[in-house]
Amino acid sequence: MTFSAKTFDPRDIKNTLAKWLISAGGVSVLFTLVLIFAYLVWVVKPVFDSASVEPSAKLSIQTANNLAVGVDELREISFTIDNHGVINFYQIEPTDERQAGELLLSKRLIADDEMLQSVYATNVNQYVLVSTTGSVYLVQPSFKAEFIADLRILHPGVYFPLGEDALVIDEEQAVISKLAFAMTEEKAMFVALTDDKRLLKTSLIAEDDFNYDSEFSAEYQLIKDDIDNIDHLAVTPDLTMAVAVVADEVSIYDLEDDWDVPVKAEFQPLANSTDSITAMTLLSGSSSILFGTSAGEVLQYFEVAKANSREFQQIRKFKVSDNLAVSQIYPEQYRKSFYTVSPNGEVGIFYTTSEAMLWQGKLLTNDQQLFAIAPRANAVVIGDNKNIELVTIHNEHPEVTWSALWQEVWYEGYPEPAYIWQSTSGSDDFESKFSLMPISFGTMKAALYAMLFAVPIALAAAVYTAYFMPPALRKTVKPTIELMEALPTVILGFLAGLWLAPLIEEYLPAVFLLLILLPLATFVTAYGWHKTPKNIKLLVPEAFAPIILIPFLLLAGYLSFELSPLLEDSFFGGDMRQFITNDLGINFDQRNALVVGIAMGFAVIPTIFSMAEDAIFSVPKQLTSGSLALGATPWQTLIKVVILTASPGIFSAVMMGLGRAVGETMIVLMATGNTPVMDWSIFQGMRTLSANIAVEMPESEVGSSHYRILFLAAFVLFVFTFIFNTLAEFIRQRLREKYSSL
Amino acid sequence: MIDIKPEIFMPSEEIIDINNLTNEQVALEINNLNLHYGNKQALNNISMKIPKGQVTAFIGPSGCGKSTLLRCINRMNDLIDNCNIDGEINLHGENIYNKHINVAQLRRKVGMVFQRPNPFPKSIYENVVYGLRLIGQKNRRILDEACERALKAAALWDEVKDRIHDSALGLSGGQQQRLVIARAIAIEPEVLLLDEPTSALDPISTLVIEELINDLKEKYTVVIVTHNMQQAARVSDQTAFMYMGDLIEYSDTNTLFTTPAKKKTEDYITGRYG
Repeated sequence: MTFSAKTFDPRDIKNTLAKWLISAGGVSVLFTLVLIFAYLVWVVKPVFDSASVEPSAKLSIQTANNLAVGVDELREISFTIDNHGVINFYQIEPTDERQAGELLLSKRLIADDEMLQSVYATNVNQYVLVSTTGSVYLVQPSFKAEFIADLRILHPGVYFPLGEDALVIDEEQAVISKLAFAMTEEKAMFVALTDDKRLLKTSLIAEDDFNYDSEFSAEYQLIKDDIDNIDHLAVTPDLTMAVAVVADEVSIYDLEDDWDVPVKAEFQPLANSTDSITAMTLLSGSSSILFGTSAGEVLQYFEVAKANSREFQQIRKFKVSDNLAVSQIYPEQYRKSFYTVSPNGEVGIFYTTSEAMLWQGKLLTNDQQLFAIAPRANAVVIGDNKNIELVTIHNEHPEVTWSALWQEVWYEGYPEPAYIWQSTSGSDDFESKFSLMPISFGTMKAALYAMLFAVPIALAAAVYTAYFMPPALRKTVKPTIELMEALPTVILGFLAGLWLAPLIEEYLPAVFLLLILLPLATFVTAYGWHKTPKNIKLLVPEAFAPIILIPFLLLAGYLSFELSPLLEDSFFGGDMRQFITNDLGINFDQRNALVVGIAMGFAVIPTIFSMAEDAIFSVPKQLTSGSLALGATPWQTLIKVVILTASPGIFSAVMMGLGRAVGETMIVLMATGNTPVMDWSIFQGMRTLSANIAVEMPESEVGSSHYRILFLAAFVLFVFTFIFNTLAEFIRQRLREKYSSL
Repeated sequence: MIDIKPEIFMPSEEIIDINNLTNEQVALEINNLNLHYGNKQALNNISMKIPKGQVTAFIGPSGCGKSTLLRCINRMNDLIDNCNIDGEINLHGENIYNKHINVAQLRRKVGMVFQRPNPFPKSIYENVVYGLRLIGQKNRRILDEACERALKAAALWDEVKDRIHDSALGLSGGQQQRLVIARAIAIEPEVLLLDEPTSALDPISTLVIEELINDLKEKYTVVIVTHNMQQAARVSDQTAFMYMGDLIEYSDTNTLFTTPAKKKTEDYITGRYG
C-alpha cells in the first residue's frame, strides 16, 4: 500500500470528470442567462438611438432655376423640375452602365409656350405645377425596375395621374398665386387663391377611380372673395379641411359640403405675442397642423373633443432655435416626423408623439435651397441650380423615447394625455401608441388579483397541512396539491375563458355569496363537530375528520348558486351585471380580473402551498415542544413560534408565486380579454406584458419599432421576474442566516 | 464570570424516607401508570411518589422508558399519535389525566427543559418572557422584573445583562440551555422536568448546569432524566432505576448507588449493560 500520487486510481478520473462536467453545466446555465439578457438588450437598443445623418453623394448639374428636387424610393435616381417645366433625372451612384450624375431623361411636362411659376410638392411624391398663366398640371415621377442578368436597372418616367392636359382650376382662368392640393382615389381637390383675390375650391371627381383612369368631372366653388394674400395654405389628405393662414390668423374651412365652404374654426396660435407664423404644414395623417414661428418654435395643433364641441388646441411646442425663425417645415410621408429648415440652413429632425428632437445640424447653405425628404424617409435631397446632394438619414425608431414609453402622451384626437398601448391599426398614417404603462399595469393587476385569491388559500392550506393535519392524511394531500402544478396552464386558461367567465357572468351574486357562505359553513361545521358527543366522534378516524367538512362546503356552494337568481331578483333588479353597468356605472367585461384572479390564483396555489408547507413543516419539533411545554396552546405556538420561524420560507413562497403570476402567459391570454386598459376595477379586463408579446409577436414586422418594443416588453418582464425572485432569495437568505443556528 | 468548582455536589443533608412520605412532602404521585405506543407497551404499571423540593433522577439504559415517564408528567406524550395512557398522576391530589384538566394550565405548573437547547429565534428577553406573554402579560415593568429574576435564578444574568435584546441564537450551547431553564422558571412552575439537560453540552457547561440544579431545588421540585450515572449521583436526592419499562428500584441516591437492593440495578451501576 502506497500513498504516492503516481498510483493509478480510476476514482481520480471519475472525480475529475465529474467536477468538470458539473462546472461546465453550471457555467453554461449562467452563460445562457447572460446571453438571453444580452440578446434582448441588443434587439431593444436601436429604439433608443437618436437619428444620425451622413452626406452620401453630391452631383453637379447644369440646369438653371430649378423649382423642385426629389429622389426615387430606392435612392438611385434624383430629379429636378425647372421653371421651363422640364424634369431631369440624374443617376446618383455610378453603375456598370451609368456614371454618377449622368442625365437619364429630360422631359418637358407643360405646354411649350408656358413657363412655370411655382411647384407644390405633395406628401405623396406628386408635384403640382402652376404656370405663369394659371395652367395647372399634376405630375408624378415614376420609376420602373427592369432586371437584366440579376441586375436591377431603374427606368425613370413621368406619370400624370389627372391626365397630361392642363387642368382648369379657375373657370375664369385667372393667374394663381397660392395653391393647395390633395387627392384620394375618387376625388382630387384644389384650393387656390387667384390674382384677382378669389379663394377657390375646385373638385375633380373621378368617373371611376383615379388609380385606373384619369377621367373626371370638375366642380367649382368660390370659398371667399376679396382676399389679398394668403401666407400658408393646405388641404388635408382626406379632403375634409383646408387650412389658411392670413396674417397670423388661422382659418379652417370645411370642404366636405358640395354647396358651401363654411369656416369651421378660426384661431390665433400667437394671439398674445409679437411673434408671427413663418411656416405651416400638415403632419402625416391629416390630424395635426404644425406652425413654425418667428421665435424659432414649432407648435402642434389638433382638434380635441370638448364638452360639446371640437376645438383646435395647442398640444406641444418644439424649440427649434433660440433666435432664428422656422422658414420651412417638411413632414414625412408615413410617420409623425417633421424636418425644419432655418434661414441659416440648419435642419432639425423632430418626432411629435415622442416629443423628441432627433437631430439638428447645418445641411443647407441657406433656406433658399431646395429640400425634399426621400419617400422612405431614409434620406433627404438638397438641391440648387448647380448641385444635388443626397444625405442619408438613419432614423429607424423615432417614435420611441423613454418618456413616451412610460409617461402620459397626448395622442392625436385624444382629449387629454393618456397611457395607451395601440400598436397597429388599419391605416398607414396611424399614430403608434407604445406606452408600456397599460401592459405593465395589467401584469401587476393580474398578479395582484391572483395573489389576493391564492395567498390566503395557499397559506391557510399550508399551515393546516403542515401543522394540524394528521400525518396519514398529509401523506396523500400534499402530493395531490403539488400535482395541480403539473396541470397545463393552457387548460386552466381555456376553462377560465370559456367556462368560468360565462358562469361568473351568469351567477355573479353566487360568487360573492360564496365568499361569505364558504367560510361561514366552515365555522359552523367546526363548531358543530366540537359540540358532537365523543362517542360519535370516535366513529370517524381522526385522519378523516376534515372530510366531514366537504359535504357542508358543497352544500354552501350549491346554496350560493341556488340563491343567486333570487338575490338578483330581489336586490339587483333581475340582473346583477346590468345593475353594475347601469346603476353603479361600472364597466363590466365578461373576461375580467375576477376570472383571472381565480384561474391564475389556482395556478399559483400549488407553488405557494408547496414551498410554504415545507417551510412550516421543517420548523424544528423541539421549538414547538418548547413552546407547548411553557403552557402555550397549539394556536399560540403556531402564531408565536412556528410562523415566525418559517417566515423566510413563507415569504419566499409568496414571492415565487408572485414571480410565477407575473410571468404567466396562457391564462391571462385566454381569460383577460387582452384590453390594455388601466383600471383597477375587478370587473374589467387587462392585458399583460406576457400576453401582449404572445398576441402581437406574429403580426409585427421584424426589425420594426413595434418588434423591438415587444422585445422591450419581454425585457421588462424579465426584469420584473428577476426582481421578484432576487428579492425573494435575498430576503430568504437573510432570514435564514438569522435563524440558522437552530 | 462563572465560578467553576471542581468538587462534586453532595446530596442534601437531610435524607427523607421515600416510602413513608407525608402528604405535605409529596409533589407528584404516580399510580399504576401504563403507557402503550400502539400495541407496544412502553411503561409497565409504574407507581412512585416524587418528593417536594428535592431532585429526583430517572436513570436506566436507552429505551427503558425514563424519558417517556418524564413526558407523562406534563402530558407531552399527548402530542404523539397512537399513545395511550392509563393510570393516574396526581398533582395536588388531582389526576392530571382527568378530562377537565386544561393541558396548557398544567404545563405552566410543570415546566420542562429538553435534551437540546431550544431557544426561540427571538431576543433573550423575549425568550424569557414568552410564558408571561402567553397569558397576556403586557406590563413592561412586571416583564422586566420577571426576566431579571429568572435570568438570575438560572445564573445567566451576569453574562447577558448587557445584551438581553440580542438574538438568543447568539449564545453558546450552555448559555442557551440556562436560558431555556430561565424561560421555564420565569412562569414560576412547581415542578421542573429536565430531560437529559446536559447531554448536548461540554463538561464545563455541564458543571454549571449541575450547580444550577442544586440551587433550583430550593424553590422547585426537580425531576431529571439522565443516562449519566455520575450526574445522577452528583445532583439528585432520590434516584429511580428503570429497565424495559419497569421501575426496578427507587430509593435515595446514596442507598441506590452504594447498596442497591436489586441485581439488575447493581449490574447497571457497575457497568454490565447500558
